[in-house]
This record gives sequence, C-alpha cells and structure tokens, in this order.
Amino acid sequence: MEVLEHFHQKVIIPLKIGSFDISITNLTVSMFLGVGIFIILLLVLAARPKVIPGKRQVVIEILINFIKKGIVYNMIGPKEGDKWFPLVAGVFVFILANNMIGLIPGTYTPTANPIVPLVIALIIFFTVHITNLAKNGIKGYLRTYAPSIVPSWMYVIVVPIEAIGAIAKPFSLFIRLMANMLAGHTILYVILGLIIYFKSYFVAIAAVPFALAMTILELFVGAIQAYVFAILVALYIGEAVHPKH
Amino acid sequence: MDPKAAALIAAGFCMGVGAIGPGIAIGNLVGKALEGIARQPEAGGQIQTAMFIGIAFAEAISLYALVVAFLLIFVA
Repeated sequence: MEVLEHFHQKVIIPLKIGSFDISITNLTVSMFLGVGIFIILLLVLAARPKVIPGKRQVVIEILINFIKKGIVYNMIGPKEGDKWFPLVAGVFVFILANNMIGLIPGTYTPTANPIVPLVIALIIFFTVHITNLAKNGIKGYLRTYAPSIVPSWMYVIVVPIEAIGAIAKPFSLFIRLMANMLAGHTILYVILGLIIYFKSYFVAIAAVPFALAMTILELFVGAIQAYVFAILVALYIGEAVHPKH
Repeated sequence: MDPKAAALIAAGFCMGVGAIGPGIAIGNLVGKALEGIARQPEAGGQIQTAMFIGIAFAEAISLYALVVAFLLIFVA
C-alpha cells in the first residue's frame, strides 16, 4: 500500500563495500541536505563573534541560551550541565533539522523511518546506563531500581516495575518521535489522496485548505518533538548524575 | 469471520478507543494551564513550557494506539 511508502527507500546510487550495502538512498540525501543547510546557517550566523552582538549573532545566542538555560541547567544543574550541553544540543539540532526537511515537497523525512530514531534512542540508553554505572558504582546503580524510600517488603513489586521502566523509557522516546512524524505525513497523504480517489476536482476545495492547516501543524509538531526529546534526554541524564536516593 | 475482516474492525476500534484517553488528558491539561496563566500572567512562559511537555507525553499514548492499528491493518 502506498500509504506506508515511507518505509521503502528509493536507491539512487548503489554502493557496496564487501557485503555491506551502503547505497545512497533518498533518506541519505534528505538527511545530508537538512543537516547541511542547518550547519551552513549556523556557521554564517556565528561568523566573527563580537562581545556586543550584532543582529546575526543574537539569533545564535538565543538558540544557545534556550538550550543551555531552558533545558540543560533546568534538568541537570549548572555545574554538571556544561559537560552535557554538547550532547543535548546535538540531539536537539539534529532532530530539528531532520524533522523540518520533510516539509519540502519531494523530500523524505529521515526521522519517520524507524531506523533513525531507534539509533538515537539506543545511543541515549547506553549513555544513561553507563554514566549511572561510572558515577555511582554498582551499588548506586542498583539503588536506582530499589529506591530507599520504599519499604523492603515492597521490593517484590517495585523492582520489576523499575526494570520495565528502564526498557520502556528509551522505547517510548523512539516511538514518540517516529509515530509523530509518520502520522503527520500519513494524514497529509490521505487527505490529498482523496482528490485522486474520487477523481473530481470539487474535493480539492475542501481538501487543500485542510492540507495547508496540517502542514503548518506539522511545522509546529516537528519543533515540539525535537524539544521534548531533548528535554527528556536531559531529564534522564540528570537522574543518572544526581540520583535522589 | 474472515480474519482479515476481523483485523480491520479491530484496527478501527483500537484507534477510536485509544483516542479517548489522550483527548480527555490534553483537554484537562490545557484548561489547567489557562487557569494558571489567568491567575498569574507573569508565570505565563513557564506554564506554557510545562504545558507543551505534558501535551507531548499525552500525545505519545495515542500514537501507541496508532502503531497498533497500523500493525493490525498491514501485518495481520
């Protein structure tokens, strides 16, 4: 069915190394285009920084202040936050760029394919658990699953729930991002496909304004999903670095 | 009943019922956020930020139902 066409990628330049298939597909082109545009934009805006910012530098300062004070310092605290700012900022800008590139007609949304959010969620999963182990030791890591507030006869219930939570948190990160992006494109496809299905132009009078409203909502939802992903990453790292028990 | 027909009916039910909870949740959330902003307009920015995070969480639940519906239609 063409509704799930997003799951099948079109190969543009087939490349192979040994038995690894690293062909250039439309996902690769869209991802490089989106991230490339963002990198060029950021470099142009941040060129020749001065102590008193000009108009172009203010945009970069707003973005960095937003991520640093709004996300990282809120969740992790000022001292540790400086170490984790690059990771959170990278995740935020990468997901924002990949969400936005899908709005141009004819391109592909990399974050709608399950692989891209899955890999990001896996990276966050390993980062959080290894940081927890490295900072708090084995006893501290196991304390996460058995907080001291809970009386010891309730461990039978609480420990499995916390263990399931440790798997469910990155999984929900992945599903939230992928399903939001996929749902937006599917709705657009279905609404505009009604014109072709009924084979008349009168349906377009109702369908096209609705599709326009959905595209503006897509813009909004793309930005919000990037923000929520970044703030959840900061929250999980904050829990690992400053455990409250 | 033909299993393909049963899967399609189940997909319809799944998405329909699965949108009730998040609908109520988001309505409550935005209502409380509006009350909070009306009581103290200076805290408007913080309340708005927290509201968006809450909406994203509630939306994720309805998208789990959407994923199950897609699985029922295309894989069963």
